[in-house]
Amino acid sequence: MKPIKRLFLLLLGLVLTLSLVQGVFAQSKQYDQVTYAYATFNNIPTTEALAGVEEAINQITREKISTEVKLVPIVIWEYSSQVSLALQGGEKLDVFQSLGDFNTAISTGMCVDLTDMLDNYAPESKDLIGEAWLAATSFEGKVYGIPTYKPIALTPMVIYRKDIADALGLDMSAVNHVNDVTEVLRKVKAAYPEMTPLAAVNTGNIGIGLTVPNVDYLTDSYFSPKGVLMNDELKVVDFYASDEFAAVTQLARTWYNEDLVMKDAATTASAAAELMASGNYFCYIASYSYPEVDTAASLEAQAGGYPLGAKIIGSAFLDTSSINALSWMVSSTSKVPEAALKFLNLTFTDKEIVNLLIYGLEGRDYVVNDDGTVRYPDGQDASTVPYTAQLSVGTLGNFFIMHSLQGTNSESLAWELEQNKNAKTSVAMGFTFDSTPVKTEYTAVVNVIEQFLPGLVCGSADPETDIPLFLQRLSEAGLDEIIAEKQAQLDHWLANK
Amino acid sequence: MQTRKPRKKSNTLPLLLIASPGIFYLIVNSYLPMFGVFLAFKDFNYFKGIFGSEWNGFENFRFLFRTRDALVMTRNTLAYNAVFIVLGTAAAVLVAVLMFELGKKRRVRLFQSALLLPNLLSWVVIGFIGYAYLNADTGFINKTVYKALGLPAVSWYSTPGPWPFILVLVHLWKVTGLSSVIYMASISGIDKGIFEAAQLDGATKLQQIVRITIPMLKPTIIILTLMAIGRIFYSDFGLFYQVPQNSGRLFDVTQTIDTYVYRGLMERNDVGMSAAAALYQSLVGFLLVLSANALVRKLNPENALF
Repeated sequence: MKPIKRLFLLLLGLVLTLSLVQGVFAQSKQYDQVTYAYATFNNIPTTEALAGVEEAINQITREKISTEVKLVPIVIWEYSSQVSLALQGGEKLDVFQSLGDFNTAISTGMCVDLTDMLDNYAPESKDLIGEAWLAATSFEGKVYGIPTYKPIALTPMVIYRKDIADALGLDMSAVNHVNDVTEVLRKVKAAYPEMTPLAAVNTGNIGIGLTVPNVDYLTDSYFSPKGVLMNDELKVVDFYASDEFAAVTQLARTWYNEDLVMKDAATTASAAAELMASGNYFCYIASYSYPEVDTAASLEAQAGGYPLGAKIIGSAFLDTSSINALSWMVSSTSKVPEAALKFLNLTFTDKEIVNLLIYGLEGRDYVVNDDGTVRYPDGQDASTVPYTAQLSVGTLGNFFIMHSLQGTNSESLAWELEQNKNAKTSVAMGFTFDSTPVKTEYTAVVNVIEQFLPGLVCGSADPETDIPLFLQRLSEAGLDEIIAEKQAQLDHWLANK
Repeated sequence: MQTRKPRKKSNTLPLLLIASPGIFYLIVNSYLPMFGVFLAFKDFNYFKGIFGSEWNGFENFRFLFRTRDALVMTRNTLAYNAVFIVLGTAAAVLVAVLMFELGKKRRVRLFQSALLLPNLLSWVVIGFIGYAYLNADTGFINKTVYKALGLPAVSWYSTPGPWPFILVLVHLWKVTGLSSVIYMASISGIDKGIFEAAQLDGATKLQQIVRITIPMLKPTIIILTLMAIGRIFYSDFGLFYQVPQNSGRLFDVTQTIDTYVYRGLMERNDVGMSAAAALYQSLVGFLLVLSANALVRKLNPENALF
């Protein structure tokens, strides 16, 4: 027994040494290692599928910027907490996106100041994005992020079942305001009593909040505003005390009482696409940054294949968060910030890299049509190909150099660029709010909003009784302090502008 | 013939070995993370790290006491847990006694499995089972039960009134099976001779249960209750978050310390404040265990935990 055991040990030692030597050799090429964490709305690919894409990207980056990249796709709803945990735990993570937490990322020191590095390592991106947009990702004159370059002007639309609208002879072109929707819903309800005309977009949101025009949310999430600017005034006000808010909640209440909207909208766990796919709903209201026809076409597959139409019912409005909500940052724990920024630059300028990130490998994950658009290989779709992050098109790098998915209109890009330039812009564009001085109040106010807002905007709560109570609780939780702090920071920003 | 040397160690070593995975788990999972206590008193900054960040005193704790929510969540956490301890123990003991009296028949094993099953379901699944019952448009209660009784449909997820009962019911349904197993084990450990002697003296089944089984279970009940008191400031997050489907209208009866912290900090991802909340919960729990144990020791020294 003994000699065999010894031989075995010797072999084991040999193998270990060899792998060590191999490791040393592999290391010796001296490429900078950059870890790129991005959010995906698609399935997380297997390690092998991901390795293929990584290798293809590395072939480009080794040559262009002598860097190797490790991709870390994270499911969208876990993204913020995963990134935060990784940075706390000292895991290697060089590039990440702010996903709405732009100011938290700065105030907690998650990201580095890019101001001086931009000229040396990402000049093309700097030119592409332009000073105006970079102002939105700056704090006190220093640039901390690069905003995703994409159509950002979100326009509120009604997404509806075309077959039903045609059958009932509804004139959707006459629907130009959220108030016009009521008549349509009533007609559908009368013709199809078993149907619920309006679906929720997601939990506690039937899309009417965003139809209030000309509101700068001052860095807050659209679904949880705490002190906003309205109608081009530079005075911070309480959104929930405004006449506009009273009007939309009253509208929602009317819909709820007439059974025009789903009863459980405030708590439903289902999102719009899934509800529409059930065939029980006629329409939903949400904001998109693509033209009407494209939006409808791209949603059909997810919504059960029913023919869909889209109708714009409001106008786009740009504030600082519309730009910096999706900013790319270099982490403060990165050992190779220069290489990280160089790779980030490529995601804005290199067509091949950005398409590898979004669509994966040509031939394996997608094929190119004659007209330049792409589709999934025959017999496959987004859920079966080894790698795709197609639903992240609007969240990373430069949208305008990505392939278009089959079925999208080539003129759309022009429309989207136009919207970006022409959309109405907030008077406080470039201002970002740092909530750190009032974080205690912030946390308390978030809880109050979660308690009241879903019921009010979904119609299940009566605005007559609930809005006064809501306002009182908000005030107890410290909303007034938040508004005062916002006003102070805004005044300071205006004075230094 | 070989004689074995009597080794003292051999008594404890196997036991230690059996316990070692548990001890290892405790050290890794409960003791090592205690370093994080620092964070509760720091203004955490990713760049400066855990030890480099600035101290900020009790600033992180302020949000716990900021609003009327502080009162609501503390009341809910304590009251629900108190009810769970009392009713939960009573239900578990009752089930254990009934099971034991049924003997070792096959159907007992069936009952036992059926009682244990809910414990294996995750709260998310249970949340959706509840939703299937309580959904306003298509739920079983509104669509079938209430319709048959001729009652008007209730919008359950926006009516706070019934929720304390629903939550207690769901909790009992989920945990009773598992906790009764511990009591059943204790009952099996009672010397059969005592029961036989009682039978000879003419004691009825009920008398045997009240005079023998329950008193013999007292130490187990006390230990388990003391441990439950230690966690009285924690709530079962899944029960209070998933089962009411995170409905805002129900917060007055479903908000507990854990759900408040989760909701409040989801948006900010603030590490210091989360650590502060956890420290506050464990400190109060620790003090409660100490005082409950002191009370038990005063009343009946033999049953005290330490």
